Formats: sequence, C-alpha cells, structure tokens
Amino acid sequence: MVKRKMVIMLCLVFLLAMGLSLNASATRVPEFTILTTTEGYDPIRYEAAFLIQDAWAALGIKVDVQPLEFSTLIDRFYNEQDFDIAIVGWSGRVDRLDPQHFLGTLHSEQMDLGGNNPGGYYNEEYDELFTKQAREFDPDKRREYVLEMQQIGMEEQPLSILFYRDEVLAYNKNTFSGYVPMAGEGLYTEWLPFDVYPIGDSNTLTIGTSQEPDNINPLDSTTVWGWKFMRLYYDKLVRLSPDIEPLPWAAESVEEYDERTIEVVIRDDMLFHDGEPVTVDDVKFSYDYMVEQDFAYFRPFYEPLEEVVIIDDQTLHFVLKEPTSFFITVTLSQIPILPKHLWEDIEHADQLSPEDIPTVGSGPMKFDRFDRAEYKRLVKFEDYFKADEIDIDAIEYIIYADAEGTYTGMVTGEADMTAWRLEPAQITLAEQEDHLEVVSVPDFGYYHMTYNLRLPALDDVNFRRAIAHAIPHETFIDVLLDGRGERGTSIIAPVNTFWHNPDVPVFEYSLETAMHLLEEAGYWLDDDGRLNMPQN
Amino acid sequence: MGKKEFIIRRLLQMIITFLIILTGLFFVFRLTLPDPTAALVMEGLSAEAQAMVRARFGLDRPLWQQYFIYLGNFFQGEFGMSFHYRSAIAPIVWEKLLNTLVLMFPAIIISYSIGPLLGVILSWRRGTRVEFGGIVGGLFLRSAPVFWTGMIFIMLFGIWLGVFPTSGMRTLPYEAVGFWDKILTLDFLWHLILPAFTIAIYYVGLPMLIMRNTMLEVMGEDFIELCQAKGLSERAIMYKHAARNALLPVVTQAAITVGLAVGGQVVVEVVFSWPGLGREIIQSVRTSDFPMAQACFMLMAGMVMVMNFFADLLYGYLDPRVVYQKGGK
Repeated sequence: MVKRKMVIMLCLVFLLAMGLSLNASATRVPEFTILTTTEGYDPIRYEAAFLIQDAWAALGIKVDVQPLEFSTLIDRFYNEQDFDIAIVGWSGRVDRLDPQHFLGTLHSEQMDLGGNNPGGYYNEEYDELFTKQAREFDPDKRREYVLEMQQIGMEEQPLSILFYRDEVLAYNKNTFSGYVPMAGEGLYTEWLPFDVYPIGDSNTLTIGTSQEPDNINPLDSTTVWGWKFMRLYYDKLVRLSPDIEPLPWAAESVEEYDERTIEVVIRDDMLFHDGEPVTVDDVKFSYDYMVEQDFAYFRPFYEPLEEVVIIDDQTLHFVLKEPTSFFITVTLSQIPILPKHLWEDIEHADQLSPEDIPTVGSGPMKFDRFDRAEYKRLVKFEDYFKADEIDIDAIEYIIYADAEGTYTGMVTGEADMTAWRLEPAQITLAEQEDHLEVVSVPDFGYYHMTYNLRLPALDDVNFRRAIAHAIPHETFIDVLLDGRGERGTSIIAPVNTFWHNPDVPVFEYSLETAMHLLEEAGYWLDDDGRLNMPQN
Repeated sequence: MGKKEFIIRRLLQMIITFLIILTGLFFVFRLTLPDPTAALVMEGLSAEAQAMVRARFGLDRPLWQQYFIYLGNFFQGEFGMSFHYRSAIAPIVWEKLLNTLVLMFPAIIISYSIGPLLGVILSWRRGTRVEFGGIVGGLFLRSAPVFWTGMIFIMLFGIWLGVFPTSGMRTLPYEAVGFWDKILTLDFLWHLILPAFTIAIYYVGLPMLIMRNTMLEVMGEDFIELCQAKGLSERAIMYKHAARNALLPVVTQAAITVGLAVGGQVVVEVVFSWPGLGREIIQSVRTSDFPMAQACFMLMAGMVMVMNFFADLLYGYLDPRVVYQKGGK
C-alpha cells in the first residue's frame, strides 16, 4: 500500500531523471580521458596531462587523466587504438632526421591497428603529397612538398606537438675535448672517434651509461642502444654529417643513375678487422642478407630495394622498386656492411647464441668485449682508411645500474662523458662541479598529444583548432622543462632546419580565443558550465 | 618415522610446492600483463612484423601449449628465451646468480657470525646500558634503508675519502675471463667491501635480537641453574650450554636469508651497480621481459625451499630433541 506507492513514485522519479540526463548528455561534448605515462616513468608528460585538464576545464570540457604503465600505454595507443586522447612521443633516432618516418605518422596507410597513425587522420591531399615527396630525389623539390604537408598538419591539428625536449648531457672538460653535439643524438654520436682528442693523461675515452645493448647481433638488435654501439665498428656507405647532410663514406660516390637506380662506387682501401678487404661482394651480400633473413627492424629501410647489381670491382647499382627519396639518406646510412665470408654460412642469423655472433666489421673502431651489466670496450682500428683522423686509442663503457650510478661515475671522474641525458635533479648539481661541462642539445624527437579522430567533437577540425589555444605550451617549457626545450609546432622539429617549416601557424595560448572559436563553431555552455555540441 | 622417510616426504612436498609455484608464476605473468608482447613490439613495427615476432617466441600458440613448453623448458634446465636480449636466458641468469652469491654470502657470513655473538652478550648483560645501547643500535641498523646506508658509504668512502670504488665488481679495463679469475683477486675484494658491509650491517640486527630473546628464555631454564651449581665458568655456560640451545630460531632465519639471497639485495646491487640477479630483476621489469623475470623468481623460490629443507635437517643436529615424526610429538 504505502510501500507500493513509494516504489512507484521512486520509479517515476528515476525515469524522469534518466530522461533528463539522457536529454542533456546527448548534446554535451563527451568527457575525454587523456592517457599518459606514470609519474615515475616520465613526470613531465604526467604533469602536462593535468595542466591540460585544468585549462580545458575552463572551457567546460571535462577531462579525466589516466596514467598508464608505459608498455600498456603503447599497447592501448598503437595496438588497440583504445583511447580518446593520448600523450606519447617519438624519440629522435638519427634515421628519423629524414622526414619520411614522421610524415608517415599522419598517412592514411598507417591507420590500421598497430600502425603509426592511431588517431586515424585521413586527408587525401596529404597522402598525395606524401607519395610525391617519397619519390622525389631532388632535395629542394622534395622540401616543397614536405613544407606543405607540415602546413596541412598544423592547420588540421590531428595532434598537438607539446614540446621538443633538450637532451642535457655532461662531459669531463679536463680529460677530452672536441665534442660535437648532434641534434637528437647528444654527445654519443657516430662521429665521436673522429671528434674527441685527449687533453689529459688517458687516450681511452670512458663513457658512463646505464643503457646497454639488447644484443650485438646486427640481424637481431632492435634497440637504439644496440645500434649506437655497433655503428662504431660497422661501416656504412653513407654517413650523415652533424648538419644532417649525407656524406659518401665507405662509398667513393653515390649518384642517381636513373630515377629508380642509385650508382654507388666504393672505396678501394677498406679492410675488415680480420684483415680481409671490403669488396662490392660484401656490400651486395649485406643488403641481400638483410632481405633474405627478413630482419624486421630494418625492413622499412630495405623495403624499396628490388636488387643490388654488381657492375664492376668498385661499382654497384641499387635498383629500387620505385623512386624512393630516403634510400640515400636513411637506408645507405643505416645498413651496416657485413663481411660475407663470416656470415654467408649462417642460415638463421637471429638464432645465433651470443658467443657465436661475428663481431667483425670495417668501421673506425674494433669490437673488443661486452660483459653484460659491466663493461664494453672498442679499440681503434689502425688500418682504417681514416685512422689518422682518430686521436683516441679506445672507447670503453662502464655500464651502471641507473642514472644515479652514472652521475656518481661522472663526479668521481671514473667516466668522461654520459651517453644519455642527465636526470633533472642532476643538472644543477653537475653545473656546480668544476670539472664537468653541461651541454643542452635540442632534439628532433617530440612529445605529442594525439586525438582519436573517430570520436565526436574530436572529429571536428574547428573544435581541435579551438582547443589548440588551450594548451599551455609556455608552462610546459618554463615550469616542467625548466627552460630546456622548445614549444611544439610541427612534426618536423625546428632543429631539423632543412626540413622544418618555420611558417606553420602557431596557436597562442589564450582561453578567450579558444572559447571564442568554440562559440563561433556553434559550441555552447550550459547552466552547469559544461560545453555542448553544436545544434543543427 | 625415521630420518630417511622424513627426507623423502619433505622432498616430495618440495616438488609439489615447486610445481604450484611454477604454475602460479606462469599464469600471474600472463594474466597481469595485457599483452606480454607489447614489450617486444617496438613502436613503428608493422602488424605483420609483429606477428612474426610473436611466432618466434611461441606466443601465437594457445595458452595451454605455452604452459607445457614452459614446464618442459624448466625441467631441461632452460628458462626459454629472453624477450629483451633475444637469446637463451639460462646462461645470463646463471652468471648473474653467481655474481649475486659472491656478494651475498660474505655479507651473510659476516652478519650471522657477529649477530648471534652480540645477542649472547646483550642477554648476559641484561638490564645494563650495554643491552639498551645494543637494542637501540640493532633496531636502528635494521630500520635504516639499505639504499641510504649504501649512498652514505659511497659519499663517505667513495667520493670524500676516495678509498673505495663506488661501482662494479672489478677495475676497468680488465682481462679476466673465467669466474674464479674474476673473484680471486684483491681488486675484487676491494670492490666487495662497501656493498658487502652495507648488506651485513642491515642483516646483523635480526640474528642479534632473535638470539637475545631466545637466550633470555633459555636462561630461565633449570639446566642453566644446574650448570651454575656445578661451578662452570660463566663463559662456558653462556656459549656452550645456553647459546647452543638458543640457536634454533637463528638457524631458521639464516636459512631463509640465504634462500632469499639469490634475489640479492636488489637495492644494493643498483646503488653499487653490481652486475647481479637483483639488478636483472629490475631490468626485466623495466623492459617487460617477463620470461626473464619468471626465471629470476623461480630461482628465488627454489632456493628458499632448498634452504628451508637444510634448516630442517640442521635442527636435528643442533638439537637432538628434535625428532622427525608424523603428527607432532
């Protein structure tokens, strides 16, 4: 009786409430979740998410921040595409100085699960320009396309580049001199043996590092740290100068023969570390072997290759499936020359046990030893064709457990330089040490916030342009990065001078502008201060 | 029931326990990680290449097959392939285990030879300032975090005084190849001192306090009074009669400590950049290399069980009253 009435009443109230809320939320801009790293993994990206949350709250956009363990974050973002908004990043590896890779992250071909365009950006014009630049060997013509693509990317805002972060490194200024920092690479570049010279007692350069190679198998290593080590004792046909200019290196010359063929003439004075001469056979073998063994890490590099043809004792033709502009800048500068006589009988290169991996290359340094979690050592190769430009006898690496250990090694003088950036707290301490020189090197890798363009509101370019004004870039740089970085603009960083477009539109931080643009596009605030979708 | 039967029964128990642990480890890692291959699959690898990587590590097979491969691997003394290093785990793990043990054993020997002795003295000096100071000191050492002690040591002896090295287990560059070549040198000893004492200082409090407590209990017993009545010297009563009886709990604790030593003092290994198993555990978590982490945990579990088994046997020797009997006394 009374109870029944109560129940009916309650039901009615409930239904009414449901109806009201449905009615209201139907037009509201949905609540977004920003996925970011945990504070422990990267405090900067973590804090950045909360700063954005605050700024957007002022626009009536509700945002929830969800910090995730790094591999979970990567998995959700790339493999599952299960996100609204995600803050991730691209590291500035040397092969990414060529714009191909970063431009590809907005190409529709990369939209599928596992691809590099998880936000799902699709623009036909952009895709066409991408194909054009990929086929253009003439750098100046290619540049035109690359600049235009950046323009489109900035105007459409499928993602927001938050910042480029400087690498801050240190070296001991009393032991060695001549360091030349390189964008994105810091001090630990492949030019190191040619650049540094001793000014102290020791001719052995000691690098302190807490990063070690995953392995030193050139057909199995998939980390930056494996390759940063191996590239010192394997040679390549081309090397990128500190200004990112491709220089023929093991090659005497590299020329465009026709639009699908690159002619390479190799030097005639090169030896492997075991004394065998480096021949065109070895070069052809190295490329064929990568393809035959299907080494996934390098696949994007050798994918365009149709075949390598030996013309004479010194000359090879690289025949491509289609014109590919990055083949010279990336492929020829990354794929190592392997000694055919040591590798040709190895059937499954990725199954070699550590002690069976040949470590013979033809690079400026010779492999000496690698003891996990302890020590690595390379010695100068006296018969290298540019041996007289190398002023050090050896490079050794002390492998510390963490950044703290590395820093202690720098303070005690055990290590001469760091391979990786200092922790923020160590920077000021290092600046107070008399024997340490602290250097800031700009990076071309970037940290970005990518929108899932399949979701309402985020699929609206006007909405994205408006909220681009509500991203506190200045605070990121001044507060989070302590001034050691640059505000994000285009996916090709300013430090990559040749390819960067300095004229892309920049969205100044202004909540008024943001609100104004939102209202102009039909968004409106309700009584609760929440932003609602345009009505039409 | 005789001793032999006891041993067989205990061994059987151990095998069953270990099987349960193996199974647990396998499923815990599969269930808690959303996709174990996320670690393998680098950003920027195509879907097709990712599938190949999965296939190479057998991750494309059904879970139950993976489970039996895992068990099979284990009983062949293998631990499978490391995701991060992309090579067999066993050689890496064994080498690191040895490195850890040469650090942990000296530390444990130092603490478990000094600790109980101090405990005896404290109990004998019951109610004096010595006892008070000892207890406070013991608790202090026990509660000081090892990374802190380690860092203080590094600052003091490594940076300010510069008398001990702050990292690693030998001076670079070195030529030594074999394990014995590596550790049978003065240089190794020199590197060992700081980390070993950091651990020993942390460990010493526990046996000391346990020893003191049990000594106090034992000293209330009749046989001590009898010894005193017999006119034995205080020293003889203390060490020969009381201490021997009070040693049992210390032995249990020592066995557990030795068992856990396999995992090393993770923090100490990191602070002193010691290339041991503890550092490997951290690294494997950092790189989501779960076969490696599994192997490390397996070794730890196995060692704890084996050491407990030995402790059980040792009881019988230390205290003849301990009988191996089913269902209590």
